[in-house]
Amino acid sequence: MRSAGLIAAAVRFQLVTLRRSPGDLLVLVTTPLLTVTFLAILRGAGRHDVQAYGVLAPGVMALWSIGVLVCGQIIDTERAGGTLELLLASPAATALVVFGRIATVTVCSLLAIAEAWLVALVGFGVLVPVPHPWLFAATLLCGAAATAGWATAMAGTFVLARSTRLFQNAISYPVFVLGGALVPVALLPVGLRWLSRLVYLSWVSQLLRDAVRPAAVAHPLPRLAMVIGLGAVGLGVGLVLVRRVSARVRATGEAGLA
Amino acid sequence: MSDGAIRTSGLRREFPRRKDQPRVALAGLDLEIPAGEVHGLLGPNGAGKTTLCKILSTVLLPSGGQAFVDGCDVVAQAAAVRPRIGIVLGGERGLYTRLTARQNLRYWAAMYGRGGRAGQLLADRLLDRVGLLDRADERVETYSRGMKQRVHLARGLVGDPRVLILDEPTVGMDPVAAREFRALVGELRAERRTVLLTTHDMAEAEAVCDRVSLIDGGRLLGTADPRTIGGWLGAFEHVDVTGAPAAVLAQVETLPGVSGVTELGSGRHRIETDRSGATQAVLEVLVAAGLTRLSTGTATLEEVYLKVIGERGLLV
Repeated sequence: MRSAGLIAAAVRFQLVTLRRSPGDLLVLVTTPLLTVTFLAILRGAGRHDVQAYGVLAPGVMALWSIGVLVCGQIIDTERAGGTLELLLASPAATALVVFGRIATVTVCSLLAIAEAWLVALVGFGVLVPVPHPWLFAATLLCGAAATAGWATAMAGTFVLARSTRLFQNAISYPVFVLGGALVPVALLPVGLRWLSRLVYLSWVSQLLRDAVRPAAVAHPLPRLAMVIGLGAVGLGVGLVLVRRVSARVRATGEAGLA
Repeated sequence: MSDGAIRTSGLRREFPRRKDQPRVALAGLDLEIPAGEVHGLLGPNGAGKTTLCKILSTVLLPSGGQAFVDGCDVVAQAAAVRPRIGIVLGGERGLYTRLTARQNLRYWAAMYGRGGRAGQLLADRLLDRVGLLDRADERVETYSRGMKQRVHLARGLVGDPRVLILDEPTVGMDPVAAREFRALVGELRAERRTVLLTTHDMAEAEAVCDRVSLIDGGRLLGTADPRTIGGWLGAFEHVDVTGAPAAVLAQVETLPGVSGVTELGSGRHRIETDRSGATQAVLEVLVAAGLTRLSTGTATLEEVYLKVIGERGLLV
């Protein structure tokens, strides 16, 4: 109950913070532009059959981008602002607070999916149908949870590592490719396909694509379980890393460093 | 376990440095502060004050020795220490400046297990206490430095701590705000909370503290009654004078309580005193000689260290 209350407080706090710092959701500004670009290319090439992919891709990319760019910075931002040591000095479990805040940002990033749909409808008159709405919704939910898990891992990593901005920028496109956000994993070179299976985003992307196609979806539950399982691995790594970060900054005296 | 609200024994903290000897921030500090005492910690920059505060608040591990807060070991029982302490760090950092004071306090109240309606009421009560209730819904970034410091103070109290650690709490406060802060410390004393206050300001320490400890180089130099500090403040003063003839300076140098005359350049001299009342006699001689370009000042903490601690030693 205490943990639930703490996470709820972290969620409330993050919602207020996002309202005051809209720049954190800048990706929501670029998502419509990407949607326009992808749809224009697909329609120009006469591939009306895969228009839905062009609408899905910007949303999936936004989910990851906000995870890596905003969530990944949460601990470092706390340290720079001088609030990390106050959090460490409080009775609250730092890892839970961080996870609650990251989960909030991740859920907010799902707005990008709605944005992409809206741009397709308003800009191109394309209403992408969702024949499997429950699977679609469940995939988004599981995808957001998995993203929160891996973002927690990144938040821990970025405090321990240096040159994190470089890493954040460098990692995004490989993950977009391996995560099947831009093109389906099945179209990747064979050597990369097995690697993409380890990336939770690839399962999310393919499930979302299947959810917007009328054909029956094969093995939805095991595939959702893979998303959750891989996300849980990220969360586990993240919680361990956040605890290690807390212990390390207490040992080194770096909690208050800007 | 320990009796005092704060007790350190042989407390050490070293910070490793590349290609150099470790920097010693605390070099075996022994300190005991009984419950309910407002204790001042005086020392120059780098003396180890902030390091001690961080160790006591569990955000920094000691390299050696032990520290107890309210009877709990800050390393082995850190989780038990945290609800018992409140920490207030001076300066601009440590607040979510884009949020309002009320939002800041509600968040921190939740971190101390007071979420929901209880946290809301607590935040309002604390904001009222520090005189910010009327501006509770304005962003902290619009506050003056003194107001931000009051938010810091309110934040330090959200956990209803038995021990409050105030690290340079009046940095940036104007005189009125600093006086209000001192009144607040008086209230905390009346509530039987233990307060550890670090400061550079000897006058502040004298005004609010029951006892004062001086530290330098990570060691406790001594613990004294604040009235002793007040005596130092009165005794160690200086008079700067411009255009004083050598004969007048020679006369001044012979006055009781004058410890030295130093040339500052451009015709200026500094006359230093080490006895209460000596400054008045110096001024009388200078004014009688027709000199009017005069200014007086009190000794800095570092000057007091050089003059008093080096010569007399203190009661440890």
